[in-house]
Amino acid sequence: MGDSNQMIFIVDDDQDIRTSLTRALTQRGFEVEAFASGREFLAAYDGEQAACLVLDHGMPGMSGLELQALLNGQGSPLAVVFITGHGGVPESVQAMKAGAVDFLEKPFRQSVLIERIETALEIASAKRDALETRRALQARFNRLTAREEEIVKRMLTNPAEVSSKEIANSLGISPRTVDHHRARILEKLEIRSLVELVDLVSKLRGESASAQL
Amino acid sequence: MRVSLGALLAVGLAGLQFIAVLAVVFSSYVTSERALLDHARDLLSDVGTNTIEHSRGFLSPARGAAELSARLAQDRVIASDVPELLEQLLFQQLQLAPQFAGVYHGNENGDFVYVMRADNAPGPFRTKIIRVNGDKRSTELIWRDDEFRVIERRLDPDDTYDPRTRPWYIRARQQLTTIWTDPYIFFSSQQPGITLASPVMDGPDSVRGIVGVDIEISDISDFLARLRIGSTGRALIIHRNGDVLAHPNQSLLKTKDADGTLRFVDIRQFEDPIARAAFAQVMENGVAAVEEETLSQFRYNGGTYVAVVMPPISEHLPWTIAAYALESDFTEVIKENRLTNIWIAAVVAAITGICGLALANFIYKPVRAFAVRSALISQGELDPSEPLPKTYQELENANETLMQQIAARRETEMEYGSTFALSSRGMAQIDARTGRFLRVNERFCEITGYSAEALQVMAISDLIHPDDPPFRLFTGDDGDPVREINQELRCVRRGGAAIWTALNSILIFNQQGRPLHFVLTMDDITQAKHTEEQIAELSKDLSNLSRDNTMGQVAAGLAHELNQPLTAIAQNADSALYAVDQMSAANPELHATLEEIAEQSVRAGEIIRALRAFIRRDEGIRTDFDLSELVAQTQRLVIAEARAANATMTTELEDLPPVNANRLQIAQVLVNLLRNAIEAVAENTEGERRVTVRAHRLGKQVLVTVADTGPGVSPDISLFTDFETTKPSGMGLGLSICQSIVQANDGRLWHERSDPRGASFRFTVNAAEMPS
Repeated sequence: MGDSNQMIFIVDDDQDIRTSLTRALTQRGFEVEAFASGREFLAAYDGEQAACLVLDHGMPGMSGLELQALLNGQGSPLAVVFITGHGGVPESVQAMKAGAVDFLEKPFRQSVLIERIETALEIASAKRDALETRRALQARFNRLTAREEEIVKRMLTNPAEVSSKEIANSLGISPRTVDHHRARILEKLEIRSLVELVDLVSKLRGESASAQL
Repeated sequence: MRVSLGALLAVGLAGLQFIAVLAVVFSSYVTSERALLDHARDLLSDVGTNTIEHSRGFLSPARGAAELSARLAQDRVIASDVPELLEQLLFQQLQLAPQFAGVYHGNENGDFVYVMRADNAPGPFRTKIIRVNGDKRSTELIWRDDEFRVIERRLDPDDTYDPRTRPWYIRARQQLTTIWTDPYIFFSSQQPGITLASPVMDGPDSVRGIVGVDIEISDISDFLARLRIGSTGRALIIHRNGDVLAHPNQSLLKTKDADGTLRFVDIRQFEDPIARAAFAQVMENGVAAVEEETLSQFRYNGGTYVAVVMPPISEHLPWTIAAYALESDFTEVIKENRLTNIWIAAVVAAITGICGLALANFIYKPVRAFAVRSALISQGELDPSEPLPKTYQELENANETLMQQIAARRETEMEYGSTFALSSRGMAQIDARTGRFLRVNERFCEITGYSAEALQVMAISDLIHPDDPPFRLFTGDDGDPVREINQELRCVRRGGAAIWTALNSILIFNQQGRPLHFVLTMDDITQAKHTEEQIAELSKDLSNLSRDNTMGQVAAGLAHELNQPLTAIAQNADSALYAVDQMSAANPELHATLEEIAEQSVRAGEIIRALRAFIRRDEGIRTDFDLSELVAQTQRLVIAEARAANATMTTELEDLPPVNANRLQIAQVLVNLLRNAIEAVAENTEGERRVTVRAHRLGKQVLVTVADTGPGVSPDISLFTDFETTKPSGMGLGLSICQSIVQANDGRLWHERSDPRGASFRFTVNAAEMPS
């Protein structure tokens, strides 16, 4: 567990809960930051830091589920552990569907919470890694010129017609120009073959799709 | 008493005039007879008067002649002692009046000149002259003609007549004035007569001689015989002494005494029996006493007679004129006429009676036609719009009024009848005494299931459900029919099915205040009762649910609120435990204690969870139901509160699909939201107090909005939070329970601000899956 991966945010409207949890988790070496409401948390969080979010379900104003949905939309590298005073089955189902690590009913033993937090931190770390990978790939694609991008899209949409001649015909340019562009594309995307290109794109899309949940 | 106009007219026109004719006939019958009698008496009286006048006229020349002669002699114009001159004077006087039988003069010496009518043998007049000279006397008889010429002359030596011995001479000489003798039968002519004697004075107390006039009064009898008094009437003259002086039948006047002298017959022996019967009674003590004209009536021999007796003609002539006549002489013809008149009157009465009846009939006919027509109209056999038969102005006016009345009554009856027949409510007329149905309308038959004919023989009590308390339609506690009834009770339909009915009954009285019948209206409120029961059940369920939910929510709130400190305790205990374990010197007791604290915290949480799970046992059964109906029912549940708050409740429901949810729970949400809304608008001091329920389809859900025009929700209030409320008496659980329920039914509940003011609470509920 690296230090950078030990960040825990607590959002609960109850001051005593915040105090006790902060005390307990800090004691165990976690970096802890507590907020009284979802809005307070959103105002402080940068959206980039991987962390475990210990989230109270039943709060006035923005509820835990609402905050979870919002963060998922932003693709934040956070993993949520719900704690609830009166959680029902429907709420827990909804929370789990939305990617929550667990839905703990208060009161709970600290050992259970620590266990969930560690799981969450791993998930958050993986999320941040995936986010970074996707960002790197995206950066490679961003190097392509408009014509090169067009040729990539052409090759991806028509996998049967990937010869330079065929691409040149469809774009109305010379096959030699196409060959030149293809060489530049492979160089910029740091791949060696067209097969790697398809793999790269599929990886980027998949990551992108999951991040958009 | 009521009298038929026809009878009245018949009696009035026929009967009365008949009576009038009879009255006139009777009156004339009576009065004519009286008039006739009066007439007869007048006639008799006239006869008497005429006779008196005639007698006076008959006798008065004698007085003139006698007194003239006496005065001439007295004044010595005619030397009374010269018989030739005296004879001439007396002759002249005799010729003056035919009734004079003779005129004569005698003196104290005994000389006597007497001129008399003779019976034409040998001459019409005869003079007797007696001359006395001492003892010597001579009597010479001279017959003369009308011209005083001597026809024959001779002496009568046998004559012994001495005037001075005669009653007339003696009385005149004694009384020294003109006297009348009582009538007597003349010696010479044997005729009844009367003598008037007037003295020739020779100084105041001495008499020289007496002039006498003989008057034959048979002429008066002739006059009486000539008088016509009816056909059988008679007049006669009766002297005061009872002698009958004059009578139409002269032969009856005289009678011969035993010595051969003639005298008058007394009325009491008179041979005329009728006269005797008529006048015998006037004789009193042998003297005819008549003071004044006296009328009398008497019967004789089967006949009725009238009689009159006149007072005496004069003091000198104490004669009474008497007349009688058979009454029938005057009345016979009239009596005959009267019989004819009666017949005529009877015929006239009959004819006019018939005419009267005909006229009565003619007058009455239009009235009768009018009456018949009225009767027909009143029985409904004739239309009032039929033209009126020709009749009288007054009746036409009456008819017009009557027709208007009838038309108005018909209209009323028709309206009532139509109302009765066409009413959407069951209606019946019920006999006030027996409770039997008099009349029912179609709807009543529908409600009860019986036909109108079947109900005719039934009473209202036959319809009342046996389990219901007896329906006191007829008699109240005071024994009188109940005037007005408003009651809901169960009735038994034909076939035995029980139905709930609302009965309303009014007792109708006649003008005398006697109960006539009940008018009863009946509504079938079975459906309404059913709905009411449904709503009541819903209300009961809701209150149970509400209690459960409230307890659940209280438990949930408690759980939440308790779970926070329990969580803090558990965490703190675990933190302490962690710290203790990190310490170098192990302290097993402290570890165990902290472990216990943490464990007990969790256990407390579990107890609360178990409690909550126990209370929230009803997760609800979802069914498909009609949301519109539920909205209506829940509005009914809070209508009392809405009225109390003077709030208006409206709905704007689109054509909604059935929804799928726990009906009872949704009902509770609606009731809660409606109550909140009503309480909100009740705070309005001005502006409209309106609560509106809207619902429309939204995809696979139905969106329900409960909007109010109240002051709205303060931004400081955290809605949907347990134990947070603005209501002084609330627990602050309502909205949070509602939210839990809606969420439990896969819906959402939220608040919006209404425009321009007020709050809107909106929730969604799943539409039922339509079978495709």
